Amino acid sequence: MANSYLNSESKKLATWYFTVAATLFGAQLLFGLVAAIQYVVPSFLFEILDFSVARMLHINALVVWMVFAMFGAVYWLLPDETGIETVGIGFGKLLFWIFTAAITVVVLVYIFVQVGSADEMSIWFIHEGREYIEAPRWADLGITVVALGFVANLFMTGMKGNRSGIVTVLMADMIAFAGLYLTGMFFTDNISVDQFWWWWVIHLWVEATWEVYVGALAAYGLITMIGAHRKVVEMWLWIEVSMLFGSGILGMGHHYFWIGTPEYWWEIGALFSALEPLPLVAMFIHVLYDWGKTQGEEHAKGQNRSVITNKPAFTWFVINAFGNFLGAGIWGFFHTLPQVNLYTHGTQFTSAHGHLAFFGAYATILIGMMYIAVQGKNGIKVLNHTKSSIWATSMIVGGVLGMTVALTIAGYVQVLVSRAQMGATWSGYFDGQAGTWFAQGMDWRLIMGFVTFTGFLFLIKDLLSIGKATHHAR
Amino acid sequence: MVNEVLMTQDILVEDFLTIFISSTLVLVFGGFYVGIYTAVKVKMLKKWTLPFGYLFWILTSYCLYLMGSLMHVNELTAKALVVAAIGLLLLPHAVYYMQDRVHEENEH
Repeated sequence: MANSYLNSESKKLATWYFTVAATLFGAQLLFGLVAAIQYVVPSFLFEILDFSVARMLHINALVVWMVFAMFGAVYWLLPDETGIETVGIGFGKLLFWIFTAAITVVVLVYIFVQVGSADEMSIWFIHEGREYIEAPRWADLGITVVALGFVANLFMTGMKGNRSGIVTVLMADMIAFAGLYLTGMFFTDNISVDQFWWWWVIHLWVEATWEVYVGALAAYGLITMIGAHRKVVEMWLWIEVSMLFGSGILGMGHHYFWIGTPEYWWEIGALFSALEPLPLVAMFIHVLYDWGKTQGEEHAKGQNRSVITNKPAFTWFVINAFGNFLGAGIWGFFHTLPQVNLYTHGTQFTSAHGHLAFFGAYATILIGMMYIAVQGKNGIKVLNHTKSSIWATSMIVGGVLGMTVALTIAGYVQVLVSRAQMGATWSGYFDGQAGTWFAQGMDWRLIMGFVTFTGFLFLIKDLLSIGKATHHAR
Repeated sequence: MVNEVLMTQDILVEDFLTIFISSTLVLVFGGFYVGIYTAVKVKMLKKWTLPFGYLFWILTSYCLYLMGSLMHVNELTAKALVVAAIGLLLLPHAVYYMQDRVHEENEH
């Protein structure tokens, strides 16, 4: 497709990243559907694409599409924030192709090879067996090189151009983001030690560095989409950064309750987990405040026009504020204290939280960034909704909420039957899953998965066609 | 000590639903409090609605208390929950104060 309105190579590269991200997003949903069907019809694709493989593809595609979209979003905003072209953009493009090729090979190996013998060969060439980051070691090394190259692009551009508050936060955050990946790369034969370090990647990504990244993107979005005052937005960003790191880093303790780490983690995890919703509430105020204030200023001038210049993107940003609060906040908080986590750990509660938190906190804002890119690519001043964008938003949000409620009900059955009544025994595990409420929860999760996937198809159609619609202001 | 708290004070089966609902309401009511406070400050709601915001904060605190009691949290966690409740009360005030000052500096 022609990039006629894009005069920045960095923004062109961003659209490439978004394209791969959207493709992997589709793969994530597709393999999620396969796994959801297998819960209801266990023989589905048995010994062809088993549940363990479908689930692995589902959750790894999730992480990778988000990383692609995150890189894309940074390449998109860098020229706007720094006032210059991204330094080393040719190298950035080369890294994009390496990253895409590596991920393609990894996915093909997951699908066609699936498992290997329990030796170093499998770790190097099939997968490492660590949830969410199962890439084999050769790909791990490749991803590290790509991530470091991306950080180098970001740092060189930030140091040469105008270093705004948003860019400064991103520079610090992305080096932590890339560095933390290293803690999930080495092998230990002690599962507690292995899990201890593995959580440094997963937790410190999603509850620290990724949340800070979202804060920076929200700041960029508020400035570009509603014309919020940069000074206010950036001041607020620093508050969010301190609150997120202040509660999020040691909030990691809630993952250390039952993996063989010392008991003092129960206290640390409880204390900081109780504080973790506060920055999410704060981020929620941030969007409401800036939107209300900027629109109020416009009304004070006697103008009734909306201040929003990209309605689909802003819708996703607002959903992000709510979704982060709901998924990471509410669904996280009600099973974060060790006294209740003893019963909920590893049940469908975790899955409900995971679905709504990843969607609410990250997928939403990254989809919003894709719409910002579509607007820029098509030279549109005010991008309005289309029928497809409304259908996509409604079906994806409705579908994910539906899956979350279904999984929560299923998890509640597990907590009561498998854990509280039958004491986490082997028979309790199966009795919990045999219950009608659990089974119906799985049925509804599948139905809502289909709703989400249909919404995704609308989203792709919209991203490809919304730029050509004639009702936008150009 | 921690061991005793977790292993000897089990949660009653009939209390789980109350725990999950009250912990959900902690953030739902907390969200209403923050939302009403912010909306009043940016003049999207009338000033007289502000007491309802504080009422929601009181409900948040009650839900935290209820949740903590039914979970039999230990002393340190109970203190953490009190700090979280007070933090939630103060947070919108502090944020609004700072945002307003920055706006003033920006506009005058």
